[in-house]
Amino acid sequence: MVRWIRPLLAEVEESAEILGAKAHGLVVLRRLGLPVPAGFVVTTEACRAFLREGRLPDGLDEELAAALGDLEAATGRRFGGARTPLAVSVRSGASVSMPGMMNTILNLGLTAEAAAGLAVETGDARFALNSRLRFLSTFASAIADTDVDGVAAAPDRAAGRSAEDEDEEARLADAIEAVQRLVRQRCGRAIPDNAARQLALAVATVFSSWDTSRARTYRELHDIPHDLGTAAIVQTMVFGNRDDHSGTGVAFSRDPNTGENIPFGEVLFGHQGEDVVSGRSLTRPLHELADREPAVWTALVDALSRVEGHYLDACYVEFTFQAGELWMLQVRPGRFVGGAAVRVATDLADERVITRHEALLRVSPQHLQHVRTPRIAASAEADIVARGVGACPGVAVGKVATTTDAAVRMSADGPVILVRPETSPHDMRGLAAATGIVTARGGPASHAAVVARAMGKPAVVGVADLIVEVADALVRTGGRAIAEGALVTIDGTSGEVALGSPRVTTNAADAHLRRLLAWADDVSGDRSERDEAQRLSAAHAALRHA
Amino acid sequence: MIELPGTDLLVLHALRCGGHAGVARVAAAVGLDESTVESELIDLAVAGLVTYTAGGFNVWGLTDAGRTADAERITDELESSGARPAVTAAYERFLVLNPELLDLCAAWQLRPVDGVATANDHGDPSYDARVLGRFSALDRRAAVVCAELSAALPRFDRYRTRLTEALGRAASGELGYVTDSTASYHAVWAELHEDLLATLGIPRW
Repeated sequence: MVRWIRPLLAEVEESAEILGAKAHGLVVLRRLGLPVPAGFVVTTEACRAFLREGRLPDGLDEELAAALGDLEAATGRRFGGARTPLAVSVRSGASVSMPGMMNTILNLGLTAEAAAGLAVETGDARFALNSRLRFLSTFASAIADTDVDGVAAAPDRAAGRSAEDEDEEARLADAIEAVQRLVRQRCGRAIPDNAARQLALAVATVFSSWDTSRARTYRELHDIPHDLGTAAIVQTMVFGNRDDHSGTGVAFSRDPNTGENIPFGEVLFGHQGEDVVSGRSLTRPLHELADREPAVWTALVDALSRVEGHYLDACYVEFTFQAGELWMLQVRPGRFVGGAAVRVATDLADERVITRHEALLRVSPQHLQHVRTPRIAASAEADIVARGVGACPGVAVGKVATTTDAAVRMSADGPVILVRPETSPHDMRGLAAATGIVTARGGPASHAAVVARAMGKPAVVGVADLIVEVADALVRTGGRAIAEGALVTIDGTSGEVALGSPRVTTNAADAHLRRLLAWADDVSGDRSERDEAQRLSAAHAALRHA
Repeated sequence: MIELPGTDLLVLHALRCGGHAGVARVAAAVGLDESTVESELIDLAVAGLVTYTAGGFNVWGLTDAGRTADAERITDELESSGARPAVTAAYERFLVLNPELLDLCAAWQLRPVDGVATANDHGDPSYDARVLGRFSALDRRAAVVCAELSAALPRFDRYRTRLTEALGRAASGELGYVTDSTASYHAVWAELHEDLLATLGIPRW
């Protein structure tokens, strides 16, 4: 008999093709002795059966019930229970990366009754309502194939408690009602208020998300077969919004911009997962964790070192900490590019983690094109005021303009950086007049990003904490106010925005690159004058035929 | 039968959705000849609703009064024709297509080479053909949404014409009609998005 479910345990041996890459990474974390919330994975085989037959396969219901029974036993909590309720996350995870294409549902199992139980248990009604709202809105987004955050933005956890709590609870209750109404409207039926039915529906929804037309298009463009399917990972929730010692974040074991061997990332205090990845909320630089939650920081640094030891490469992790305790939610190799890839490969060889030959193979000749892209030089003097997503590489220096009109007017006197919440056709003149573009919203495929690349202008998008105050002609970010006309420098590779005009470099990885290419010549035995990509390619050819 | 609004509103609204533009671009947007459009623009300027920026720019744009007048008249058109439910439903379907369209634009501009997102130099016709093939597939689904919109408010018909033209030109080798030119598929799509927001009175944040 086919088994559709595997526990997330160290001894699970199946490949990423069966478990999906994300669940496979969780099993690796378990083997490394790192803290992973208890859970199980519904395999890609179950997804393929679902896609073939249009319904969840026979026997899955029983397996789900049994797996949940194990989770209840492991956690001492009851799924959908009125007392000490168990809540789970349901996440998609295919064997290949399809970023942002598929669904995640948080806090599943928080029925009305279970949420009330959670409120009693924690003595924190607002936390319980907030968590139930997050469940309903992530579920609604998934089943209605739409973003419901506009209807009921899951609110931040405000610092401290106050007499406003009652108002806040009423507001949360209203938002919960609004999301449920929206689902009834869109889907013609309500979100079931039964935990087991929620779970079955969530798994089916994650499986269906494999086949949305957007996902199909992505696979067509990236040569990914349509018949792989995705797994669905079910794990005990850890609550980054639980209290003042909770939060969530993402981290690289080394700086993905430079390759330097220091942890790099973002942390969001008092929030649940997704908020960081979606770029919707105010994140803080990762190192602030060291001051605010030293025990979590120490555990995280240890975890990063252990995962590097396993993957023999710079790594990326997602994590949550609840009441001061660290939990790992995802791991994968870092996939650095450009100068950062060169630096990590040479450093790892110097650290004797990998051989020089392996270091050479880690760097694609394609990376070398990007090594020379101008970058803001990493230094203590660079006053980085904001960080977003680099959408078009290159550095631009200019005066801040907060509107298209200002950009057009000011560009007569010198270069301008157009800073907008997001862009629309109204900003085309401003985009044309500007030397560089910064937006608060949107990712690498946003309107601003598409236009910036069409015009070949450096761009930084998705600066989550950026507020553009047109009336006062200033922008606020990172707790600072920057007036229109102030000089800023943007780096469209790293997504950094710096005040003034810091040093710009086109050879940040120069020393590392020279060493790597010397190794390349040692391998190929060819020391003639050639361009860098040719030297590396010759070494690759020699190594592959060795 | 709901009719097209007056030429003056069409011209005014083209500036509302497309931002500042010269006569030729407005004419292309509304599907009228340039002299008709220019005389409408002059009348609108006399009424204080639009303004001309010379000095090398040579573009027309809305004044604050023009933006207000457009919002009133477009809302009036929407409510008096009873088109709000149909436009709202079409807008929701548009929002499902929008991320895929933006993915496609990004794929047109950048392609992964050895895991590195690299500017698409359009030197690989088979890659471009694959992306354009997906554009066509998306366009067929967009056509359904456009048809619903046109049935509700005939002025939306122009978008179908302009999107088809952009894709046709791109397919025949004018690659700037995908994401780069002001008449590109992406540019027309963005205007349609802006029009839906303006028509339904949904503010950008």
